[in-house]
Formats: sequence, structure tokens, C-alpha cells
Amino acid sequence: MSYPPKLDAIIALFSGLSDAEKRETLIAYADQARSQEPREGETFDLEDIRKDEECTDTVAVFLRLDEGGGSHFRVTLGPQVQTLTRAMSSILCKGLDGISPEEVLAIPADFVPKIVGAELVRLRSQTVYYLLTRMKGVAKVWLNRRRSEAADGGTFPA
Amino acid sequence: MLTDYNMCMSIDSNYARPEALVTTEWVAEHLKDEGIRIIESNEDVLLYDMGHLPGAVHIDWQRDLQDHTIRDYIQPAAFADLCSRNGITPETTCIFYGDKSNWWSCYALWVFRLFGHEKVKIMDGGRDKWIAEGRPLTREVPRYAATSYPVPAVRRDKEIRAFYEDALAQSRSALPLIDVRSPGEYKGLVTHMPEYPQEGVLRGGHIPGARSIPWKEAVNPDATFKSAAELSKIYREDLGLKNDDAIVAYCRIGERSSHTWFVLNYLLGFRNVRNYDGSWTEWGNRVGAPIEKSA
Repeated sequence: MSYPPKLDAIIALFSGLSDAEKRETLIAYADQARSQEPREGETFDLEDIRKDEECTDTVAVFLRLDEGGGSHFRVTLGPQVQTLTRAMSSILCKGLDGISPEEVLAIPADFVPKIVGAELVRLRSQTVYYLLTRMKGVAKVWLNRRRSEAADGGTFPA
Repeated sequence: MLTDYNMCMSIDSNYARPEALVTTEWVAEHLKDEGIRIIESNEDVLLYDMGHLPGAVHIDWQRDLQDHTIRDYIQPAAFADLCSRNGITPETTCIFYGDKSNWWSCYALWVFRLFGHEKVKIMDGGRDKWIAEGRPLTREVPRYAATSYPVPAVRRDKEIRAFYEDALAQSRSALPLIDVRSPGEYKGLVTHMPEYPQEGVLRGGHIPGARSIPWKEAVNPDATFKSAAELSKIYREDLGLKNDDAIVAYCRIGERSSHTWFVLNYLLGFRNVRNYDGSWTEWGNRVGAPIEKSA
């Protein structure tokens, strides 16, 4: 399947880079991770804050749905979270911005090696997929809630 | 140039070899000294790129120290090449530091000792302490003139490294085996650290006869090593180790047990300590390997 346009642009950017350039670009994305944190006054439809087995520190994923049904993710990362996860948080918050939760769930993970490079995937296979899995989990919970509310006769946006 | 280690009051002079540790203060004052090379080794594969001590080089435990084609460490020629690339000679004092309370720096130090490099030290408290003290980091990658490090004649596997057969013999002979993993891993309740990914181990438990002393017992909250008296109580009084004991330490993949190996060897002066780097990822999967589970 094709990727969402914003993610596709990021994949295209990385695809033309050498492994060394990929690392430099990942560092640049990791530097921007703080800018993906929730802003003051923002409210969310779903919050998933936890420290689980696959990560060394707390990772919080926030999801807001706009009126058109587009997803907007924010992520907060604890200080011990690895650099690759920081980079992936920036990449995914930007790349998945605006697509529906259904589209989030449908994105195949095969783009990750194109961004990270084969060596880093081999060295840190769990790390590079972690945040995508968490975001898909949040999208799935939101969709399940919506279906549950629909079954109960409730209303929900989009 | 390197004569004032013991003047630093923060290093416990009662350690067996206090010169094996340097403080962050000492490193800050000697960043540009000739004859030393500061080496960062981390679990986080990109952390060095995010910022490191000025002048520090990066040695990655997987990329630089392991040969994945044979699941072993690099051969002596590759070690010589690694040192030469980083401007290291046999006379260079290598000062290791890193994340995770210096797990991987102890691991890298242990590998350097495998190849007989004598002048090795750990920066007490590691990367986190350096940062907590507000000391500078840089993203500038240093370039050092290549050296011609001689290829070590041997890798000292028999002296400081244990293999499966060694650990099995240790178990059967009721000699000291120290399991430095978390209590849950030792008991067989989990197959990996609570916060870490599963790394392909089929069974949980420990090597029969192994005693549980998690690596973390040896460090303070700021990642510095506990005092000689505190360490002696843990390993000599509570665990009952004696100076001439033949000791084998293991964990899951050999990094936490490198930390304990450093403590036992350099800080407490045990003379015969080996690190079983195959550790639980080998033992837990090995056909026919006996295990124990305990409460």
C-alpha cells in the first residue's frame, strides 16, 4: 500500500541518504522530539501514559481527533528513552499527522528500515518499531471505543 | 601526567585498585592530556551522536567489539585495527564511560582486557553523572592520528572469560556462580529485565547453584560505585566469597556481569573472576542445560 503523503515525504528523504547521513538526520529528528510534546491548553481524545517492558522509561502517547476525523499525535518521552525512539516520535508525529485512525492501523511497518537503515534495525530491532506499535495501539483503542459507543447508540465525531 | 589519581578524594582509597576509577572532576581537568583516550560505550546506539565528552571517541559494543558471523568477540587483528583507528597505543590509558551506570563501558573495558590492554579505567558515575553536574558535551567527533597498535598475540579467553562448559563445571563443582540479573529473572518469573525486550530466551530460571546478587547492589543512586566497605559486605560477608575463589559471573548477554566483574576484580581484588558472556541467552536456550527455578 502507499504511505500517507507526509510519511511518504519523510521516507523519500531518508531513502536517498547514506547510512551516515541517515544517522545525522535521525539525530536532527531526535533533537525535535520535545516539539512533539502536548502544548499548554491542548486536550486529547485519548491518553496512553505508561512505562512498559519494551521501553526503558515512560512514554506517553496522546491522540486528538479533529472535526474531519484526522489524527494528531503528541508524545512525551522520559529522560532515559533511547535516541532512536526520540527520533521516531518526531518522524511519526509528523508523518501520521492528519490521517484517520483506520489509516494509522493500516500502515505497514516496512517503511522503518528505509528510514533507520538496515544496520540500526538489526542492532535495535525492538526500539525502532516500539513507538509505531504504541501509536497503533492508541488508534485501535479509540476505534474500539467508538464502535462500542455506536453499539450503545451514542454519538461520536466523524 | 597521570600521577594524581589518588589525590582525588572522591575515589575510595580502600578499593583494591583505586587507580582503576577516575572521577568526573578528574576527567574534566584532563580532557586534553596526551596519553589518555576517553571512550564512550553505551546501550543507546545514537547517544554518542547526541553529545559526548569533548575529545571522546565512540566504541559500540556490537558494531566494534563483536563478530556476529561467529557470535564471538572480534579477533586480535580487528582489535588492533580498532585501536589504531582511534589513536590508541598499548601505552594509552583508556578511560571508559557510558550510559546505564557504566554497564557498557565496563563491558568495553573487559573486552580491552581480553586483548591484554593494561591501562584501563572507568569514569565513576558515567555519562549521567557528568551531565547531572552540568559538564559540557559536544557533537564534534575528534580525529586522532592513526597509530600502529600491534596485533595481540592472544585473546585472554581462558583468564577472564567463561564459556558454557566452564559455567557447567562451576555449577557441578559447587564453585561460586553469581547471577547478577534482577531477582525476577533469577527466579524464573521473567526471561528479561522488567523494562527490556525479550531477547529470545526460551526458559526462565538460573544456573543450578548460582547465587543471586543483582549488579545494582554495587552502585549508588548516582551510578557511582559503592565504597569498598559496602562492597566487601555484599560480596565477602553476605555472599561468602574468598579472595582465592574461582568465581564466574553471568547475566543475560554479559554486560551487567562485566560490571560485576569490574567490581570484583578491580575494586575488591578477587584474583580469579571470569565473565560468562554467553550468559542466560545461551544457557536458557541450550539443549540439555539444567536450570533451577526458585522462590
